[in-house]
Amino acid sequence: MDGGLSGQDPACGAGGRAGSRAAAAAALGAGLGGSVQVRHVDAGSCNGCEIEIGQAFGPVYDAERHGVRLVASPRHADVLTVTGPVTVNMAQPLRATYEAMPRPRLVVAVGDCARDCGVFAGGHGVLGPVGDVVPVDVRVPGCPPEPAAIVAALRGVSGR
Amino acid sequence: MNPVAAALGAAFALAGSGAIAALPAPARWGPAVVGAATAGVGIAGAAAGGAAVSGTVWQAYLPDLLPLAGVRLAVDPLAGWFLLLVGGVAAVVGVYTIGYLGRDGHGPAARGALAVLPVFVAAMLLVPAAGSVSTFLLAWELMAVTSLLLVLGEHRHSPAVRTAGLWYAAMTQAGFVTVLLGLTRLAAAAGGESFAAIRAAGAGLSPVTAGGVFLLCLAGFASKAGAVPLHPWLPRAHAEAPSHVSALMSAAMVKLGVYGIVRVGFDLLGGGARWWWLLLGALGAVSALYGILQAAVATDLKRLLAFSTSENVGLILLGLAAAGVWAGAGQDGVAGVALAAALLHAANHAGFKTLLFCGAGSVLRSTGTRDLDALGGLSRRMPATTALFTVGALCAAALPPGNGFVSEWLLLQALLHQAPQAGTVLTVAAPVAVAVVALTAGVGVATYVKVLGTGFLARPRGDGAATAVESPRSMLVAMGLAAAACAGLAIVPVVAAPALERIAGELRAGPELFAGGGVDLRLAGIGSIVSPLWVAVGVIGLAVGFAAAGRALGRARRRAPAWDCGDGPLTARMEYTATSFAEPLQRVFDDVLAPEQDVDVTPAAESAYIVRAVAYRRRLPDRIEAHLYGPVIAAADAVGRAGRRLANGSVHRYLAYMLAALVAVLVAGVIR
Repeated sequence: MDGGLSGQDPACGAGGRAGSRAAAAAALGAGLGGSVQVRHVDAGSCNGCEIEIGQAFGPVYDAERHGVRLVASPRHADVLTVTGPVTVNMAQPLRATYEAMPRPRLVVAVGDCARDCGVFAGGHGVLGPVGDVVPVDVRVPGCPPEPAAIVAALRGVSGR
Repeated sequence: MNPVAAALGAAFALAGSGAIAALPAPARWGPAVVGAATAGVGIAGAAAGGAAVSGTVWQAYLPDLLPLAGVRLAVDPLAGWFLLLVGGVAAVVGVYTIGYLGRDGHGPAARGALAVLPVFVAAMLLVPAAGSVSTFLLAWELMAVTSLLLVLGEHRHSPAVRTAGLWYAAMTQAGFVTVLLGLTRLAAAAGGESFAAIRAAGAGLSPVTAGGVFLLCLAGFASKAGAVPLHPWLPRAHAEAPSHVSALMSAAMVKLGVYGIVRVGFDLLGGGARWWWLLLGALGAVSALYGILQAAVATDLKRLLAFSTSENVGLILLGLAAAGVWAGAGQDGVAGVALAAALLHAANHAGFKTLLFCGAGSVLRSTGTRDLDALGGLSRRMPATTALFTVGALCAAALPPGNGFVSEWLLLQALLHQAPQAGTVLTVAAPVAVAVVALTAGVGVATYVKVLGTGFLARPRGDGAATAVESPRSMLVAMGLAAAACAGLAIVPVVAAPALERIAGELRAGPELFAGGGVDLRLAGIGSIVSPLWVAVGVIGLAVGFAAAGRALGRARRRAPAWDCGDGPLTARMEYTATSFAEPLQRVFDDVLAPEQDVDVTPAAESAYIVRAVAYRRRLPDRIEAHLYGPVIAAADAVGRAGRRLANGSVHRYLAYMLAALVAVLVAGVIR
């Protein structure tokens, strides 16, 4: 819960709303009862963030201790983690994934690219940050963010 | 006048006039005339059967109708049961034919082929009504020839029809020869050819003669019934024949093979040795298992139904075998239950297989294909056909509340009931038979889930299925009648109890099978009870109740598109096909089915690691057919080719043959 939530991050594009979203996320985290199912979408990442997410669920950081689990289908997921700037080709699959999730649902944008396109801003085939395509609830800054930051953000959602 | 005589007379008169009227009738009216006549013949036959099973027997001897032997007819309750069965099927199929061959009909409604239909039904009625060996053989041959003509109805359109016709002709005639040999031997040994005379002398025959007669007749009757390994004609003929003919053959004609076994084995020979029935049981078990396995992996809708016919015949034969074994062991009550199970399953199978083949015909007529891998989505385009086919599939899968469940339950009761003094062979055979029935039922459920799921639900996989239209009303009415009969047999099978008791009593099995009235089926000897009505009410009530409760109590529903991995709309190419659905089963039973698979990878010219095309071929040949009949056909072919050298067209050679033959005869005469 410390600085991992991008609600406190002034660089965030939709900063005004994000604070309340973070609060909502925290409230919802309590409602999720300490059990969060996560579906991950790579919307155009360089895969740096994927390596860090892999570490977050590895034996060292072990996010599953905190009630967070990766699942194989958005139908099973409470939380969607998204990495990378959203490319033109991945915008529709990302939207479809978000639509396929049961309610309530939260979106965690992992990494600087997901927040504001990072080094790829203005690049060929880049549509925009994740927030332009689906509403984002939690942001994790960093290029790439450390596993500890990812775990902290997910703990904020799971509440444990 | 005897009601059986009146009804049978009406049936034969209608068949004759229908056939004659069909020939000059204009093409537009032909199907209607033939369909109405066939339905009339069926109704009259069913009326005769109904009178006979309720206790009216009838015998007649018409010495002037045919030279030498005359025609002898004898209708008892057993014959009545099969008259009822054949008549009921024919009545439904007659109505169905009107729409099936009618305007915009499917296939060529050639006049000759049309006119044969009522004659075929009349021949099928004549088989159980026959009261002597000569009349029986005549009816049997008439039935075989007329059905062959009907199978060949579409021979101009497909070479497969011709192959099917050849197989059917060869096997039905071979079967006829064995029945002919068996019955004439029996008549000679008994010193009379009427069934009454044979019955009187039957018990006094030597075991060798009786066993030989039984084996010969069994070969012919089992091949007509489609029991494995005498089945290869069946999947061909049932698949390639026009669908109304498939329905008649599978639902009615095949049952007359069963009738022959009951008549000769139980009635004329009066029981016999235990090995007869153990052999019959083995035949039944193999048929049931092999039939349902082939059905489970078949992708041709009608071929699948044909193999399912083999399976059901196998179950019927298992019931007959149990009846024979228990009767021989003095367990008359259980023998009666087993016989009742077999006869009831014959009627149930007739009901649902009529429905299923008529449904398959509707699909074929509307989509132009029988390939399940090219069907799908019919539930939206042909809702009535789909609903009726579902009823048939439920019955065929032997799940409650279908009618197949009731007779399979009876069969299991008869097989599970083990007398304490049964002996080693039976204590092993009976549990094996139970396992066979259970496995058959399980694979049967998978088979019909496959048919319904890939054939009727999901999205259309081909153009034919995508543009399908609902069948005409007469076809739907016919299928509705068959579905109603199935539902009746499923819910109140107890109406058949008096008839089954009468037949069992006549065949010297237990006279008191069922106890008490009401809607439950109470087995008197075994002390077992099932209540199909309450089972049906319970199952349907639970299903409806759960659906209603889910709707009333469930959380708010959200309609969402099917999850497609975010990758655009799902296409019909991504659906489960009949082949892919059956693939796990095929893998499990790999050693039995021995599929031939072939994967052909074509690499690109630049590199062997870049694949340009992959071709996958899979064939599921009928293994028994290939190994058992292949060598016989090859040998016959070789003999034929060798024989051709004898007749090379030279007149001189033929004259030499004649001279040699004359000399040989003269020499033989002189020597004697």
